Amino acid sequence: MSESEVLRAILSPAFLASVLRVTTPILLPALGGLVSELAGVINIALEGIMLTAAFVGVVISAYTQSAWAGLAAAMAASAILALGLAFLHLELKADLILTGLAFNLLASGGTVFVLYSLTGDKGTSAKLASRVMPTVDVPLLEAVPILGPVLNHHNVMVYVAFLMVGVVALLLYHTPWGIHVRAVGAHSEAAASVGLNVRALRYQALLLSSLLAGLGGAYMSMGYLQLFQRDMTAGRGFIALAAVFMGGRHPLGTMLAALLFGAADALASQLGNLRIPPQWVQMIPYVATVMALAVYAIVQQAAARRYLRASSLRESGL
Amino acid sequence: MPFVEMRGITKVYPNGVVANDRVNFEVEAGEVHALIGENGAGKTTLMKILYGLERPDAGEIRVHGATVQIRSPLDAIRLGIGMVHQNLLLIPEFTVAENILLGMEPRRWGLWDRPAAVRTVRTMIERYGWKIDPEARVANLSVGARQRVEILKALCRGVDLLILDEPTALLTPQETHELFRSIRDLVREGKTVIFITHKLREVKAIGDRVTVMRQGRVVGTLPVAEASEEQLVAWMLGRQVSTTREHPPARPGPLVLSVEGLSYINEEGRQILRNVSFEIRAGEILGIAGVEGNGQSELVEILAGLRRPTAGEIWLNGQRLPPGNPRRIRQAGLAHIPEDRLRNGVALSLSIAENLIADRYFNPSFSRGGWLDRGAIRRHASALMRAFDIRAPDPEVPVGALSGGNIQRVILARELSQGPLLLLAAQPTRGLDVGATEAVHQLLLQQRSQGAAILLVSSDLSELQELSDRLAVIHNGEIVALFPDPRQISEEEIGLYMLGLKRQPLIDGKMEAGRL
Amino acid sequence: MLTGEAMEASRIQRLRRYQAWLEVARPLTTVIAALGVGFLVTLLVSPRPLQAYIALLTGPVSTPARLGTWIEDATGLIWLGLAFAIVFQARQFSLLAEGQLHLGALVAGIVALRMPLPGVLHLIVALGSAAWVGSLYGLIPGVLKAYLGVSELVASLMLNVIAQRFYELLLTYWLKPPGAGYNWTDPFPSTATLGALIPGTRINMGLPLALAGTVLAWLLLYRSTLGYELRVVGANPEFAHYAGIPLRRTILIAMVVSGIPAGLAGAYLAAGIHQRLILNISLGLGFEGIVVALLARNNPALVPFAALLYSYLRIGGDIMERTAAVGSDLVRLIQATIILFLTAEALFEIFRRRVFRRGDLHVGK
Repeated sequence: MSESEVLRAILSPAFLASVLRVTTPILLPALGGLVSELAGVINIALEGIMLTAAFVGVVISAYTQSAWAGLAAAMAASAILALGLAFLHLELKADLILTGLAFNLLASGGTVFVLYSLTGDKGTSAKLASRVMPTVDVPLLEAVPILGPVLNHHNVMVYVAFLMVGVVALLLYHTPWGIHVRAVGAHSEAAASVGLNVRALRYQALLLSSLLAGLGGAYMSMGYLQLFQRDMTAGRGFIALAAVFMGGRHPLGTMLAALLFGAADALASQLGNLRIPPQWVQMIPYVATVMALAVYAIVQQAAARRYLRASSLRESGL
Repeated sequence: MPFVEMRGITKVYPNGVVANDRVNFEVEAGEVHALIGENGAGKTTLMKILYGLERPDAGEIRVHGATVQIRSPLDAIRLGIGMVHQNLLLIPEFTVAENILLGMEPRRWGLWDRPAAVRTVRTMIERYGWKIDPEARVANLSVGARQRVEILKALCRGVDLLILDEPTALLTPQETHELFRSIRDLVREGKTVIFITHKLREVKAIGDRVTVMRQGRVVGTLPVAEASEEQLVAWMLGRQVSTTREHPPARPGPLVLSVEGLSYINEEGRQILRNVSFEIRAGEILGIAGVEGNGQSELVEILAGLRRPTAGEIWLNGQRLPPGNPRRIRQAGLAHIPEDRLRNGVALSLSIAENLIADRYFNPSFSRGGWLDRGAIRRHASALMRAFDIRAPDPEVPVGALSGGNIQRVILARELSQGPLLLLAAQPTRGLDVGATEAVHQLLLQQRSQGAAILLVSSDLSELQELSDRLAVIHNGEIVALFPDPRQISEEEIGLYMLGLKRQPLIDGKMEAGRL
Repeated sequence: MLTGEAMEASRIQRLRRYQAWLEVARPLTTVIAALGVGFLVTLLVSPRPLQAYIALLTGPVSTPARLGTWIEDATGLIWLGLAFAIVFQARQFSLLAEGQLHLGALVAGIVALRMPLPGVLHLIVALGSAAWVGSLYGLIPGVLKAYLGVSELVASLMLNVIAQRFYELLLTYWLKPPGAGYNWTDPFPSTATLGALIPGTRINMGLPLALAGTVLAWLLLYRSTLGYELRVVGANPEFAHYAGIPLRRTILIAMVVSGIPAGLAGAYLAAGIHQRLILNISLGLGFEGIVVALLARNNPALVPFAALLYSYLRIGGDIMERTAAVGSDLVRLIQATIILFLTAEALFEIFRRRVFRRGDLHVGK
C-alpha cells in the first residue's frame, strides 16, 4: 500500500472506531488499577482476574445460553479473586506483588486446565456455544458531526468502559467513599486517626478494582472476540498499570493513556502495511511511561529543592 | 467534678519500658492544664491512652464522673475528647476542607457536598479570626496554618477537651503567640485544653494548672500561679543520685573538631539548627545537654554525614569535611555511636563479624583486590568480642539473635576499636542497665585518655555532669550556654537553660564563659 | 561462664538450629503442601487422578530422554534464579530478567548468524555479548532508581516489554531468512551452539556453565567486597549509609550485575535449547525465575536445587498431560500455590513466635 493510502486508512472512521474497541480492554482494568493504586494496594493481579473473568463468562454463557448470565458470573469470579487477594495481603501479610503474580499464574494455568477438562481443547473454547454481549445502536450518536460513525455501533461494553471513566471519577472525587479511599492511600495514619476503617476500605478498593478488571475480561471473550483463548489477555493487565502511571494516577489521564496504548496497538497493525515494523509503534507507550516516570521524579526533586530554599529564605527573615 | 479523671493508669511496653506507672491525673472543665516532663516521662503515652490510641494495662478513666472505656479515637471523640498530634496527621494533597471534614463529609444525594463543606469550614475559620482558605491544598500551607487545620479538625467533631501535643514545636514565635490567643478564645467558649510541652515559659504564659511527670510517674500538680520555675525544674529533672567518681583532669590537646555557623532546615521547612558553632579538642569530652527534640539528634547526624546542613562548615583536624559523606568523614577519623541502635547501628540479619567490619571492609587488612579475607575478618571479630565482652558462641551468629546489651556492645566494639579522632556518642547508655552503663562510661573515659575528642549527647544530666569536661546546652537549635566546669553548676541551673528560661549572653558572637 | 551467659548461649544455639531447620523445611513444606493442593484438584477433574499424579511425580526420571529434558529446563532456570537472587539480596524488586533474557538471546543470535568467527571463539563471543548486553540494560532501571528514586518495579516491567518488542522486531525484519513465511531464524552454526555434554541426551554444555555461574554468584555475594556491600544494603540500607557504604552505587551495581546471568539465560535458550531464535523464546520464564529465587531464599548455593525442583514440576506436568490426559496447566496451579504459601509470611511468623516464646521461657528475666 502506498503511504497516502495508509494515511487515509488511519484517518478513516473505521480505524478510529477500532481504536475505541482496542482501548476498551485496556481502559477497564486501568480504571481498576487506578482505584487500587489510589488506595495504596496496587492490584498486580488485574491480568489474572481479567483472564478468569473472560473464561468464566464464556463457560457460563454457553451453559445458560445467556450473555448476561455469563457477565454476572464473570463479575462473581472477579469478586471472589479480589477477596482472596485482599485476604492474603491484608490478613496474612503476604507480599502484594508476589501474591498478584501468583494469582496471574493461577489464572493462566487454571483457566486452560478447566477448559481442557470441560472441552478437551487446550487452545480455545470454540467448541462451546458461548454468547456475546450485544452491539448497541444509538441513533443519537450518529448525529454527532464527523465522529458520528466512529462513536456508534459498538459493543455495549465499549460504552460501559468509557462511561466507567466518569463513574470512577465521580466515585473518587465526589463521594465520601472516594475521599476515604484516597485518604487511606495517601496517608493511612491520618485516615485511621479520624476513625476510618483502613482495612475495610482497602478490601473495598480491591473489590472494585477487580470488578472493573472483570468487566474488561468479559468483554474480551464476549465482545472483542467471541470465544476464550489461552492467555488471551496478553499482558493487558500490566499495560493497564502502565496507563495508570502514565496518566498521573487520575481517571482522565488514565483514559488518555489507555487511548494512547490502544491507538498504538491499532496503528501498529496498519503500519505493517507500510513496512514499518509494528513493534516500533507498540513500544511507544512503554517508552513514554518510563520517560514520564523519570520526568516526574526530576520535577519532584526540583520542587523539593525549591521548597527548602524558600523555607530557608523565610527563616532568615527575607 | 473534674472533666476527666485518670486513676492508676499503668502502661508497660513489650520491650519492658514502663511508660506510665500508676498515674493519677485529672483535668477540670474550662482550664488550660499543662502537662510537662522530659521525653520519655510518659506524657505522650498518657494522652494517647486518653485518646484511645493506646490501651492501658491497668487503671481507669472517668469522664464527667462516669467510668468509660476508650478503645479507639472514635470512642474518645464521642466522649468529647480530641487530640492534635505533634506530627500533624494531614493529607497534603487534600484541601483544608477535605482534611477537616474527613470521615464526616456533608452529603447531598449520596454525593459529597463540596460547597456545604467549604461553607462550614469557612464559618469555623472566621469564628476564630484565622485566615485560611478552605479550598487551599494543605501542602501549600505554612506549618502554623496546618496546625490550625488540625485543631479545627478536632473542634468540628464537637470536642470539648482538646489535647495539644507539643504544639509549639513546629511554630515560629509569632505563630506561637497566635496559637495562645486561639487557645484563650477556645477556653472562653468553654473548651478545656491539655497542653503537653517541655517549655516552661509557655506553661507560665498560658497554663492554669501544671502537672509534672518524670519517668512514668506524676511528680505533682500545682496551680501555675503558685509554681516557681525552680520548683518545676526540680520536679522535672529530679534529684539524681550521682555515683562518686573521680573525674580525671582534662588535658586537652590540639583542636580536633571545629563547627562553624551550622544551620539546618529539615524537609518540612522547619529550622532545626541555628548558627551553631563550637570546638572540641583532643582528649576532651564536650557534653551537650538538652531536652530531646531541640536539634541535638540532627546535629549529630550532620556531623556523621547522614544529613546535609543548610549552611555552615565542619573542620576535622584541619580538613574541611564534605557534608553528607559518611565514608569520607569516617576515614578522616570519625566514629559514631548512633541514637537509634537498631535502625542505624546494625544489620540484624547479618553476622556479628559482618557487622563489625561495615566501615572498614575495604581496608587492605580485610580485603584485597575486591575479595574478602575471611580469616582476617573472623580473627578481627573474635578479638573484638573478647575485648568488648560480646557474649555469643561465635562470630557467625546473626546480630538479631543477641540481647539488647550485646547489640550495643557490638556497636561500641566497631566504633571504638579503631581509636577514633572524633567520637560522636548519642544517648549511648539509653535503655542499658546500671552495669552496662558503667561499662560504657569507662570506655568513653578510656577513649578520652587515648586522645579522642568526644561529643556526648545525652538526656541524662548526671551522666553529662560526670563525664563532660565542658558542657554545652542546646535549646531550640541554638547553643544557649557553655559551662567550662560542669561539676560546679547545679542541675537546676542547667535545667533552666535547657528549658529556655535563661541564656548566656554572646560577646562578639561567642559565649562569654569561654571560647565556644 | 556465668549461668546467665550459659543460658544466653543455649538460647542462641536453639535459635540458630531453628533457623537452619527453617531454611530447609520451609521450601520443602511449601512444595509438599502445594502438591497436596494440586492432588486434590486432580481428584476433582481427572478420571484417573492417581495415574496422572504418578506421571507428574515420576515422569521426569522415567526415561533418560525425559531426564535430559528436565536438566535442560532446569539449567535455564538456574540462570534466572541467580539473576533474581542477586538483585533481591540488595532488596531491589527489579523484574528486568525477562527483558534481559530477550536481549541476551537476540545478541547471541546476531553473533551466531551474522558474525562468523572461528571455533570456540564464536560461542564465547556470543555468550559474552549476551552477558554484556544484559548488564547494560540493567543500567536503565538502576540509574532511574538510584538517582531519581523511580520504582524499579514499574520501570523494569515497562522495559521488559520494550526489550521483547525489540527482539521481535529484529527477529522478524532482519534475522530471519528473507522472504520466509515463518517467524524463526535458521539454525545457528554449530560453532555458536552449546554442544551436548552427554552425547545422545539434551544435556548440553549449558549445565556446567550454569553451575560455574552458580559458584561465581555465590563467591560474588559471600566472598567479595561488592557482594558484601550488596548484602548490607539489602539487610539494612540505613545502616549501610551510616557505615559509609555508597548506597546509590551499590543499588546500581546490583541491577547491572544481575543482568549478566539474565542475559546468559537468554543466550542459553537461543544457543543451547533451541539453537535458533524463535518468536516465543521465553514464555514468561523470566518470571518463573522469581519463584526459584524465592525457594532458594536468594542464596546462589541453593538455586540449582530450587531450579531442579521447580523444573521437575514443569516437566512432570508436560508428561502428565501427554500420558494421562490431564492438563499441564495444573502445574501452573501448583506453582502459583507455591508462591502463595511462600509469601504468606504471616503463616510462618505465627509458627516462629510460638517456638520463640517457648525458647524464651527457659532463659529467665
